[in-house]
Amino acid sequence: MPELLRPASVDEAAGLFASHGAAAAILAGGTGLLRETHPSDDGVLIALDRLGLDRVESRDGGWSVGAAVSLSGLRAAVPIPALQAATREIGGPAVQNMATVGGNLFARAPFGDLAPALLALGARLVFASADGEEEQPIEAFYAGWSEDGAPRAGLLTRIEIDEPAGAVSYLKCARRRYASPSVVSVAASVEKDGSGAVSDARIALSGASAHPFRCAAAEQAVIGAGLDDAAMAAAGAAAEAAVTPATDPVASDWYRRRMAGVFVRRALAALA
Amino acid sequence: MEAKLIRLTVNGRDETVVADPLATLQDVLRDTLQLTAVKSGCGQGGCGSCSVLVDGELRLSCLTLAERVEGTEVTTLEGLNETNAIVPLQQAFVENYAAQCGYCTAGMVMAAKALLDRNPAPSRDEIVEGLSGNLCRCTGFAPIVRAVQQAAQALSDTGEEAS
Repeated sequence: MPELLRPASVDEAAGLFASHGAAAAILAGGTGLLRETHPSDDGVLIALDRLGLDRVESRDGGWSVGAAVSLSGLRAAVPIPALQAATREIGGPAVQNMATVGGNLFARAPFGDLAPALLALGARLVFASADGEEEQPIEAFYAGWSEDGAPRAGLLTRIEIDEPAGAVSYLKCARRRYASPSVVSVAASVEKDGSGAVSDARIALSGASAHPFRCAAAEQAVIGAGLDDAAMAAAGAAAEAAVTPATDPVASDWYRRRMAGVFVRRALAALA
Repeated sequence: MEAKLIRLTVNGRDETVVADPLATLQDVLRDTLQLTAVKSGCGQGGCGSCSVLVDGELRLSCLTLAERVEGTEVTTLEGLNETNAIVPLQQAFVENYAAQCGYCTAGMVMAAKALLDRNPAPSRDEIVEGLSGNLCRCTGFAPIVRAVQQAAQALSDTGEEAS
């Protein structure tokens, strides 16, 4: 049976995480980990509940979100509609009260619908390790993923979210509205210049590849253009070409690929 | 690893229970305290039949470790009324035929209570969202939604709380 460890400080937790290596799993809300944990398993579960990571702090120009803040806690504290929309469609209310922001970022497809919203918002992740704190853009974190999931860089302690400069949209394609894993989920943010042309764009998908990612090809299809039908169709086509979806009981790879294109187009249309 | 002593308040009563390592809140409520309105359904967070309130917030007892609810106030269906009489929310379930086999009902009532405590006058869409983590395979959900609508109406008429 795995042993439950409940460290009382971030330093202690990061030390335990490093010293137990691959035998350690981080227990945040438990909605993902505990259903995969079996009494015959070995190893240790390192609980985050005594670390004070369950708070959101408002700062100049944004929010510092503790990794163990619940999805409903995030929705209450960070009034960005696209982010709030993402939290509403993960599980039901009980799951949203338990599952954490940090935990959701480590979820494997077809789960992990917070990631595209945070990618579109340009969030930054702060990890604690024996060497101190390290902050990295969320896309750099996902770039480090392999077939085995997330890299063991350190202990995720908080997520830095800035107030969005432009408009942001989030859409989830699922078999039903609530409490359903995603076929794909998509978030987009664009900034426009005075003429209405897109000066910057961030388009991100989850469920469409081995891990959430920003789709540079779709972004390039709209940057410099107006958000007209042709540009949005080009972005959708670029996303279709870029994804590498899996077939699972939720959807086939064929369907996921097509929905990736459709939902990128719709996410942009919501900002047009 | 040894069993641990855990102190918590359940349905208004202080309890001290001995829990095995990694015992869930569901194990403690059902097996130790005999509160069997808490159902054991999927064990995966997908059905909601084990729903309880922890410090007033809806949680899944099957995915909550007992050790982590030390010092909290837990409410199960049995705790809605000290005298064990049914409360207006339960009466609305009865009158709307919102229970058939009954397996989901305790979890549904707890999810509905969590919703009405937070939002005493929910729209139909808000009720659907509030119950979205709870599966019923008998009723098709419509009678359950009607029951919660009726309970909300009854509460606004009387000015009472959900339970």
